[in-house]
Amino acid sequence: MSSQKKKAFQIEAFKHRVVVDPKYAEKTWKILEHAIHEIYNHNASGLSFEELYRNAYNMVLHKFGEKLYSGLVTTMTSHLKEISNSIEAAQGGLFLDELNRKWAEHNKALQMIRDILMYMDRTFIPNTHKTPVHELGLNLWRDVVIHSHAIQSRLQAILLENVRRERSGEVIDRGLMRSITKMLMDLGPSVYQDNFEKHFLEVSADFYRLESQEFIESCDCGEYLKKAERRLNEEIERVSHYLDTRSEVKITNVVETEMIESHMHRLVQMENSGLINMIVDEKYEDLGRMYCLFRRVSSGLVLIRDVMTSYIRDTGKQLLTDPERLKDPVDFVQQLLDLKDKYDKIITSAFRNDKTFQNALNSSFEYFINLNSRSPEFISLFVDDKLRKGLRGVTEEDVELVLDKVMMLFRYLQEKDVFEKYYKQHLAKRLLSGKSVSDDAERSLIVKLKTECGYQFTSKLEGMFTDMKTSQDTMQGFHASHGSDIGDGPMLSVQVLTTGSWPTQLITTCNLPAEILGICEKFRNYYLGTHTGRRLSWQTNMGTADLKATFGKGQKHELNVSTYQMCVLMLFNDADRLSYKEIEQVTEIPTSDLKRCLQSLACVKGKNVLRKEPMSKDIADTDTFLFNDKYTSKFFKVKIGTVAAQRESEPENQETRQRVEEDRKPQIEAAIVRIMKARRVLDHNNIVAEVTKQLQSRFLPNPVVIKKRIESLIEREFLERDKGDRKLYRYLA
Amino acid sequence: MKRKDTVKLISTDEMEFVIDKDAAMVSQTIRNMLTSPGPIDNWVFLGGFAETELGEVTFPEISAVILEKICQYFYWALQYSRGKETEFHIEPELTLELMMAANYLHT
Repeated sequence: MSSQKKKAFQIEAFKHRVVVDPKYAEKTWKILEHAIHEIYNHNASGLSFEELYRNAYNMVLHKFGEKLYSGLVTTMTSHLKEISNSIEAAQGGLFLDELNRKWAEHNKALQMIRDILMYMDRTFIPNTHKTPVHELGLNLWRDVVIHSHAIQSRLQAILLENVRRERSGEVIDRGLMRSITKMLMDLGPSVYQDNFEKHFLEVSADFYRLESQEFIESCDCGEYLKKAERRLNEEIERVSHYLDTRSEVKITNVVETEMIESHMHRLVQMENSGLINMIVDEKYEDLGRMYCLFRRVSSGLVLIRDVMTSYIRDTGKQLLTDPERLKDPVDFVQQLLDLKDKYDKIITSAFRNDKTFQNALNSSFEYFINLNSRSPEFISLFVDDKLRKGLRGVTEEDVELVLDKVMMLFRYLQEKDVFEKYYKQHLAKRLLSGKSVSDDAERSLIVKLKTECGYQFTSKLEGMFTDMKTSQDTMQGFHASHGSDIGDGPMLSVQVLTTGSWPTQLITTCNLPAEILGICEKFRNYYLGTHTGRRLSWQTNMGTADLKATFGKGQKHELNVSTYQMCVLMLFNDADRLSYKEIEQVTEIPTSDLKRCLQSLACVKGKNVLRKEPMSKDIADTDTFLFNDKYTSKFFKVKIGTVAAQRESEPENQETRQRVEEDRKPQIEAAIVRIMKARRVLDHNNIVAEVTKQLQSRFLPNPVVIKKRIESLIEREFLERDKGDRKLYRYLA
Repeated sequence: MKRKDTVKLISTDEMEFVIDKDAAMVSQTIRNMLTSPGPIDNWVFLGGFAETELGEVTFPEISAVILEKICQYFYWALQYSRGKETEFHIEPELTLELMMAANYLHT
């Protein structure tokens, strides 16, 4: 539509302008040319926009567009040549100023020229596919001014020199720099890149290569990182002040490569100040800085993580293999926790809670905790210690905190069933001796174990708690019905334990004193009267007793002793002097237990209610014991503990191991059967893999053991070997 | 000095039309006349064209009749752009000249 309209105009116009002066075009162009000169000479106020616009309009309309355009190019080029000369003539520091001022002027002039030639821009240029006026002006500026040889190299040198001066701490005119780089950007990204950025990056790389070399020779790691960080921030700041934003990535890359990546290994391993030293000295700030900087380069974090991991593993290994430390399990576990706390703190405060670092930490702990096969026992002992006394008078939150930490160590354990075994033993001791500090804490830990390992894992532990509860009720019932018969006799308190829930102990009954036997019988009758079809057997090795004893000077003490000790002491009601052999004969206490119990009665200072002949630390079969008349104590109640090694002795440990191994067998078999039932046919390696996977939450089964179990199952005709392929097993329903 | 918010448009037969600057700026050409070379910054002062300084524009090729119609159109266009849709009536005998002027004024 519009083009047709224009045609109509042109026809009309021609008719109208037929009489026009043949020199019209030349004359009109002269007017416009003059105007362009005036504009460049700041004299525009004398010009009439309307007149100029009308002239340009008419020229285009009368098909002199080409003349107008080429005239513009020539005129502008000549003006720019002048400008270029005047810029070249500028002295030293004024060069940039001049360039910038001329550029601003050119921009204004260009805008005015474009405005008066707008009609040409609008119609003639799109039709003939020429460069629009504004762009033309920029291109001419680029070609005539910037690319003029004298200016180009000088501009580059000055810009780079300014950057260098700023890097070395001088103050430069950032506004001017900003204008100049913006000019280069306006002329097109490639102009900016070719004339400035490319060289800038090269020079920067050289600069930082030298500087980093110098720093690394003279500074320690922390100091170096501080300097690198400052340089990096400076560059970022520089970009934001006077460079194109797209340069940021490029220049930071340069700094990263030169200052960090190429010195990465040296920094991490730097003597006396490297990563390890930072960890040891807990320099969170430096570690954080290292993390932030190294994160910027591709393999930086991997490097930190690897070094940290191997260091944790080493220290952990040392901790676990140091026989000195292993002497005190509680202290040992506490050290593990402290170690974990330390690294947790490093990771949260310096490594921004990086997940990969947490994983590395966890796997390192898992690695070294399982290096020592006694770790499960020690962790259980630690819990035992905490629940016996460590948590007394501590707030509930703190209790939870300690328990959570223990659970965290527990998670690292591979042999969770070993832990369970020990835990059960320790829990049984705590419950039966009533030594547990807090029932809530006990239960809370059970709940945690349950969420961690499932119902199966804790059902027996929970059974123990239930037994304790029902025993209380039973005792109440017993006292209610028999209370009157007992009278002055000894008080009895029985805990009825379900076999299976409690750690199995070899039943080693001893002969109870007659006074006790009577009431025991009464209880047995009472209990079996209410619960038919049950069997009761006495676990004398786990009980305790309170005895009232009168000593030589008539002072009375209440002695809190174990059942065994009670049996021994009761003998001295009738005799003053008994030989070891006699005691053993009457009580029938197993040898090791008896020795231990005599030792605690006779050899511990302050608690030696018996005297031994001859005096020595150890109990021999030939020893004789006397009632210690001269015993004194400032306490009324005296607790006589058993001299019992808290941690298991080597043979006991072996025994527990064996029991654990025994317990594992049915579990492995069950897992095999479960898998085979689902798969019907499977080859050996796959079975091993799946069994391992299924049992992982409890322990790490040994492939050899799995193989033995498979063989046993084949013997019992649960499985058979495939006739064709001997590696395949079939499930026999 | 307070910037004037009216402009004077003068026709070839020297009729003067004083209209709001906003209305006149409907024409891209007039807008350029009044604003070129854009806001003055601290660095450079080249000075604007005569029109910018005086606030009046002479059109030696547009007659009063047409210029009046054009001014009417400016106001109508402002209203239209604000969402008031009415028709703009053009007498048939003015059509051709009005079109030429429109091309010139870039409206």
